[in-house]
Amino acid sequence: MSAAGHAGAHAASGVHEPVFVAAVLAKLEALFPKYPTKQACLLPALWMVQEARGWISPQAMAEVGEVLGLTPAYVRGVVSFYTMYYQHPMGRHVVQVCTTSPCHLCGSSDVLKALLEATQCGELGATSPDGRFTVIEVECLGACGFATPVMIGNDFHDSVAPDRVPELLRGYA
Amino acid sequence: MSAELVSLTIDGLSVSVPKGTSLIEAAKQAGVLVPHYCYHPSLPSPAVCRMCLVEVEKAPKLMPACVTTVAEGQVVHTGSDQARKARESVLEFLLINHPLDCPICDQAGECELQDYVFQEGRAATRYSDYAKRYNPVEDFGPDILYVANRCILCTRCVRFMDDVAETPVLNVSERGDRAFIGIDPSQTLDHPWAGNVVDLCPVGSLVSKDFLHKARAWDLDKTASICPGCTQGCNIMIDTRDDVVVRLRPRPNLDVNRHFICDTGRADYRWMNRGDRIEAPLVRDGDRLVATDWPTALERLAAILRQASGQVVILASGRASTESLGLVHQMAQRAGQVTAAIRVPTGPVAPLAGIPGLSLRSERVPNLDGARLADCAADWHAALSAVPGADLVVVLDAELDPNEAALLSQASRVLVLGTVDEEWIASVAALVLPVTTMAEENGTWVNCNQRVQRYTQARSSAGMARPAWWVASEALALLEPSGTWPDTSADAFVALGAWIPALAGLTYAELGLTGRELAAAGTGARE
Amino acid sequence: MGYPHPSHPRETVVLSRHFGDAPARTYAGWIERGGYVALRKALGMTPDAIIEELKASGLRGRGGAGFPTGLKWSFMPKNDGKPHYLVCNADESEPGTFKDREIMRWTPHALIEGCAIGAYAIGAETCYIYIRGEFTEPLRIMTAAVEEAYAAGALGANAFGSGKRIDIILHRGAGAYICGEETALMNSLEGKRGNPRIKPPFPAQAGLFGMPTTINNVETLAAVPHILNQGCEWYKGLCLSNPKSTGTKLFSVCGQIQKPGNYEVTMGFPMKDLIHDLAGGMRPGRTLKAVIPGGSSVPIMTRDEAEGALCDYEGIIEKGSMLGSAGFIVLDDSADVVYEVYRLAKFYAHESCAQCTQCREGTAWTTKILERILRGEGQTEDLGLLLDLSENMTGKTICVLSDSCAAPIVSGIAKFRGEFDAYLSGARQPTLVGA
Repeated sequence: MSAAGHAGAHAASGVHEPVFVAAVLAKLEALFPKYPTKQACLLPALWMVQEARGWISPQAMAEVGEVLGLTPAYVRGVVSFYTMYYQHPMGRHVVQVCTTSPCHLCGSSDVLKALLEATQCGELGATSPDGRFTVIEVECLGACGFATPVMIGNDFHDSVAPDRVPELLRGYA
Repeated sequence: MSAELVSLTIDGLSVSVPKGTSLIEAAKQAGVLVPHYCYHPSLPSPAVCRMCLVEVEKAPKLMPACVTTVAEGQVVHTGSDQARKARESVLEFLLINHPLDCPICDQAGECELQDYVFQEGRAATRYSDYAKRYNPVEDFGPDILYVANRCILCTRCVRFMDDVAETPVLNVSERGDRAFIGIDPSQTLDHPWAGNVVDLCPVGSLVSKDFLHKARAWDLDKTASICPGCTQGCNIMIDTRDDVVVRLRPRPNLDVNRHFICDTGRADYRWMNRGDRIEAPLVRDGDRLVATDWPTALERLAAILRQASGQVVILASGRASTESLGLVHQMAQRAGQVTAAIRVPTGPVAPLAGIPGLSLRSERVPNLDGARLADCAADWHAALSAVPGADLVVVLDAELDPNEAALLSQASRVLVLGTVDEEWIASVAALVLPVTTMAEENGTWVNCNQRVQRYTQARSSAGMARPAWWVASEALALLEPSGTWPDTSADAFVALGAWIPALAGLTYAELGLTGRELAAAGTGARE
Repeated sequence: MGYPHPSHPRETVVLSRHFGDAPARTYAGWIERGGYVALRKALGMTPDAIIEELKASGLRGRGGAGFPTGLKWSFMPKNDGKPHYLVCNADESEPGTFKDREIMRWTPHALIEGCAIGAYAIGAETCYIYIRGEFTEPLRIMTAAVEEAYAAGALGANAFGSGKRIDIILHRGAGAYICGEETALMNSLEGKRGNPRIKPPFPAQAGLFGMPTTINNVETLAAVPHILNQGCEWYKGLCLSNPKSTGTKLFSVCGQIQKPGNYEVTMGFPMKDLIHDLAGGMRPGRTLKAVIPGGSSVPIMTRDEAEGALCDYEGIIEKGSMLGSAGFIVLDDSADVVYEVYRLAKFYAHESCAQCTQCREGTAWTTKILERILRGEGQTEDLGLLLDLSENMTGKTICVLSDSCAAPIVSGIAKFRGEFDAYLSGARQPTLVGA
């Protein structure tokens, strides 16, 4: 796979603004000395893409591959393994609700229902008409003693009850 | 063998194998095939299909035979109740999402899922009333389709591309039961050795477009042969259906091509089925060539050889067997001073990165080194320049371009030992004798590493065609009735030993079907 | 202490002493609370002496397997000329478990100190802390603490002037339960899919980046400074039962309980008291039905088993389950065991890495069967089928994810068969609707 091949692919599927330029590139390069391989920087690099773009497009995967010396297919295989990397555009704020057993026992189904209503997402995985939210179910958030935990973007909210939902969402434009 | 040996018992049979051998390979030594999917001797073992679980006495649980190495005194049971139940359950799990579309699947009949389920799977499914996983068929590359629904995720294809081709274009995408083999949309499976993933796939998930719906596996006849595509000499199997070649596949030879062939070789078989063949001996009658029988033709050949005395030029095909080159050269010597050459087309080199020494070679003929041994490797252009004024030119199945063919009219006599009826033949040949292609005869070639390898007859010969060595042998018998001349390919090979020291003492039996590397010329076969 | 609840008098607070105490998060605050004394002490000891101290303490891995920590460290080769790695497993994602999160949120320096001691003891210059992707707050706090520790000279090229290099690098996961399995974690850290690896080779021979590696859980490493400070005899003495289980342990109690939270008690504490006293017991009008004690990957305990069990590695095995990561999922009499077993199976099906056949297909198939039962469409043979599939999913795969899926199914059917039968017979209304 040649570099020229990548460039061609980019042109064919729309413009891709490179993520790894200036400060972001510097941030990634600062990680290289911390690991014996560049490949080990794949998860951090993908986080940088997602922080910049909100999701990880095929073009971005190719770009990450180029920066780290990996093929796009390899990067895609890794991206698709981890549920926190989004392969499709999401709402501005991704709302993750834990519905695994401990939280289910404590009423997470009602919290989920309240979130789907209040965000107007309607169903799991759908983005609200205003583009603000996407609500997804998540397996165990590791805060079972604080049921129901809800993550909005990078913010962790403990002990969310259905009646707290509208207020909680107010902070996210 | 200097490796330390370890003795163990597998299914009651004692075997001794080198230290570090896997149980699955040790079992092969005991004649026991442990069913498996992900394991492949030419790929790293991930131990993921869990099909090869066997019972090892004193181990707390079943062990994967592919990654468990032998230990002294180990007692292994591959057919215990526990091992059988584990295999039966793997088969059941593999089948729940399998479409069972065997009637339309190319792999049926040579499918390891089908075979093992037939052997020890459950008679009926317990996965009732649930929908099966569905993914569309994907076009992976120029010759490869991915039928995801049949996939058992053994990952052989991914590992081949990652670790052998060293071109990671495939991946396992997603996880859990949503997983499938993925390819980046900007990439295609067009690596020069990519076709091997079709052979590696134990089920009908990766299929060849070229072979798609061409034949049922059980209708195929399989013949051990050698790839005629280049000087590498990859061992192949020629698959024919009703005497028509429909597929070439790699035949394992750990010393030459392991389990692989390149796509160029794989695709290079259509010429074996050409219909425009010379089917009978043709003798010149004025300005015409007329068909005749072999006795008449051979008498005419002997007469030509008796008449000629001077310069003889042999223009041969690089696919000609060493036997044919040797005997035709002997025959030509009866007519004068011989200059013999083969035509050597060249092309780009395509190495298989993970297997050192394995490559599609630049010289696209299988027997360059055999020609050298048989003194038939003069410079092609030098041989051509000797054609004008030559007393006799023997064209042994060589493809000539129009300019080269035009030179033939300047030779005194032209003898054609040919396969395909070329346009120039009618105007210049004194005698045309139909010979067989490599698919229609037995013979040997010598690869670029001085390995002599046999290929065997895969289909019947066209019309009255005979191997070129036989034609030469018959002619020599007419010229020198007191001599002994070979009448089988095996004898022809033995006869070569008299003229080619490197081959002295070798027989077909000794070569077997995986060949033998020659020592430096003149010192005989290497032990 | 049971943050967010105040400490209960029957707790033995060692690791959790400063939970809820925000100033403890800073380097200065940690020093004030006696922090980094153990690391200084350790750097003056030989690695072998540290390992012997740990062996004598009886500390066992707190991530779930309970392997003796000192012994694990002693497996690391000596003077082999290769880089060694310490990896801290902070990928806490076992349903029911939330102790490592609190350690990182409140006492980040305790973990840093434990990691630094561990790295020194096993001859590693680098320690990677792999923090699960969802733990954004612990990651933020740990990041600040690591920066402070470098600034204070506790970490870096010359840790506390010892001439030893100790680097700690935080690495964020991205959403995969299986990365809590140590070999999957190593693959993930290397930038690969989080597929568990075949053992052997074991990490101490060829682990992260193919080098000798030790992987320890957060709680295990956080306990190490205390052992060095107070001595192995003290730690060994923290035991109410089996001498093979020593020290204090954080028990995460959650589910249908009055006061969910982390409770730190000594090994061998009665489970009955932990649930009914420390964690406040059942909600009004409810009675205890069952406990899944090890996080979700272990057999379900009935009320009688749970109330009769002592909380240590041996005590819970004796009552038919396993301590695991000690996340107690409490079910009261309103809980639907069939649904909870289904929900756990769905969890494992979602998290299966897809490598091994039994796990990839089995977790999904058992989920479908349980779903059908909950829809009121179960067949009488479904329970036998579930049990047979569970057997086929146990002890057959590279890691134990599929075993973990099978454990609640098998124990659920064995101990709460009536609830399954009620769905099958129609005595109970379907819980799930539609396909």
